[in-house]
Amino acid sequence: MATTAVLPNSPFPIRRPWYREVLRWLSRDGFGALIAILLILVIIGPMLSVIFWAFATKWQYPALIPQTFGFRWWTETLKRADIAKAIPQSITITLIATVISTAVALPAAYSFARIRFPGRQIFLLSFLATNAFPRFGLYITIAVIFFKLNLIGTLPGVIVIEVVNSLLLMIWIPTAAFRGVDRSLEEAALDVGASRLRVFFQITLPLAFPAIIAAILLSAVGIFYESQAALIIGLPNVTTVPVLMYTLTNNELVVQYGAILMVITWVPSLIFLVFAQRFLRGRYFAAGFGV
Amino acid sequence: MASLSLVNLVKKFSGGNVSAVNSISLEVQDGEFVCFLGPSGCGKSTALRMISGFETPTSGDILIDGKSVVEIPPNRRPTAMVFQKYTLWPHMTVYDNIAFGLRLRRLPKQEIDRKVREALTLVGLASYGDRMPSQLSGGEQQRVALARAIVLEPAILLLDEPFSNLDALLRVRLREELHKIQRQTKITAIFVTHDQEEALSLADRIAVMSKGQIEQLDKPSDIYASPRTLFVADFIGVMNLIPGTQAGDRVNIGDYKLTVPAEDAYTGSVTIAVRPEDLNVVSETTPGVWKGQLDQLMDLGHYRKALVNVPTLGEIKVYLSKATSFSEGESLALYPTRCLIYREGQPPVEAKLQASESLRSNA
Repeated sequence: MATTAVLPNSPFPIRRPWYREVLRWLSRDGFGALIAILLILVIIGPMLSVIFWAFATKWQYPALIPQTFGFRWWTETLKRADIAKAIPQSITITLIATVISTAVALPAAYSFARIRFPGRQIFLLSFLATNAFPRFGLYITIAVIFFKLNLIGTLPGVIVIEVVNSLLLMIWIPTAAFRGVDRSLEEAALDVGASRLRVFFQITLPLAFPAIIAAILLSAVGIFYESQAALIIGLPNVTTVPVLMYTLTNNELVVQYGAILMVITWVPSLIFLVFAQRFLRGRYFAAGFGV
Repeated sequence: MASLSLVNLVKKFSGGNVSAVNSISLEVQDGEFVCFLGPSGCGKSTALRMISGFETPTSGDILIDGKSVVEIPPNRRPTAMVFQKYTLWPHMTVYDNIAFGLRLRRLPKQEIDRKVREALTLVGLASYGDRMPSQLSGGEQQRVALARAIVLEPAILLLDEPFSNLDALLRVRLREELHKIQRQTKITAIFVTHDQEEALSLADRIAVMSKGQIEQLDKPSDIYASPRTLFVADFIGVMNLIPGTQAGDRVNIGDYKLTVPAEDAYTGSVTIAVRPEDLNVVSETTPGVWKGQLDQLMDLGHYRKALVNVPTLGEIKVYLSKATSFSEGESLALYPTRCLIYREGQPPVEAKLQASESLRSNA
């Protein structure tokens, strides 16, 4: 590192301490590179380590990458009855809870955005309130109620609790999205003869769609990975993948089990996210949003 | 093609005692182009939104071809609106935007296609059908919005300050195009604007509005030549307004005097209105003329705009022909060829210059 610098075209050399030079370089073009390196370390690093672990048959300190790779742990993992049961169960819960949540939340979000009714703001804030408490306590009290309703340890019980969990996201984001649709666009459609129902389905909904899709995908991923409620309400009969991961790490610490389950659970969310990206980048929406 | 009548139309917004629209009545003939002109908040847009159905009148009636439409919701009214904001649906192509209303009417596909292409050609965007609204400039978007309204062949075309978001040059061009299209289609149109130049150049008749009421409804030339109220006199065009007092048939403004016909005698304070082009520069020896000093001169190409400081009258705006060779600081004498006298709550009267006593004795 140079300790001084000379400005070109300057009759008098300007001397700067070396640390000022580093700051100058950072502010000019190094800053973006630095952030990129940090991001890679923080995000890609752990992911790589998990992938390594999933395929490692031998990985001992201090080697940077595993000594031997193989699928031994995969066959081991997939042979387990609890895992074979947990994966379809998780997917079923995620799909059904997301569909119900969407069906309940979208009309509610539209009402919050477009219809004036007393207590609208308080109602909207109440969804936030459930997130203000430690959820664990909330689940315990709900579990008591569910016990009386015979919902403990059942698929419907877990689905109900996951739907409730996702409502905040599923109402707040679409409410903002519906509010963001310019009213004069709706009026223009009404003006050329569209009924209010048609205006909603052909103008308002398509324009709010990207945000709604984002909310649905986020909720689905959130439901898939949710473990606290699934643990308290679902046990002993319903075990989702994240719950199983808890149990596995608690009982027998085999790193490969956790790593392989991580890789398996990544697949659906990865598909979701790729789908979302392609969807939002399409000409249809990109043009509408000036992207 | 239809006629429109507004009958004692009133709109009060909830909670407010003030009326946004305070009893306006108006008859618009078939094929006529009427402008609602006024400053912001005068109720012109509210009036238009009542005609389109987006606002419900508090009282009064709206008749299209003699039939009341007050009970008809906006999507079934025979009106079509062009909004101030760009309101093309961003997720549809230009073609689909224009075809949207026609498809709702379940027209055969070929007919929709023919009409959309005709409308696009009419607004000069024949090859733009496949584009998305975001690929168009503001002026092009408003042309498409116009095509979208016209393609439905509405009984009444409503335009709510459609060009006010565009830059000055484009605004003038679109104004000319709209004028041509309206003459071509002979569609009945209501145009809301705060831009008097727009109103004067487009309208068959202008309704000048203020505080929810129509101050004057007349042909543009009549509005300009004979503004019926002081508000209209001030709002339309450039006007010199000078406060004065009247006693009988004499009007005193500063050191100067005017006379009105004997039947217009009145006593009290009045306002004198003179257009800059109604002031002639004359010889200073002419009796009764307004003497002042040329304070400021602006060359505007085809004429020169001057500010003349007349002691006791204040700064007077005058248009000088470009042939004149005055310079700033020079003394001038002005002869008003046409003065209007406005008295509280009465129509204006014309006044003549009266030679002052001293000047008369000099002559």
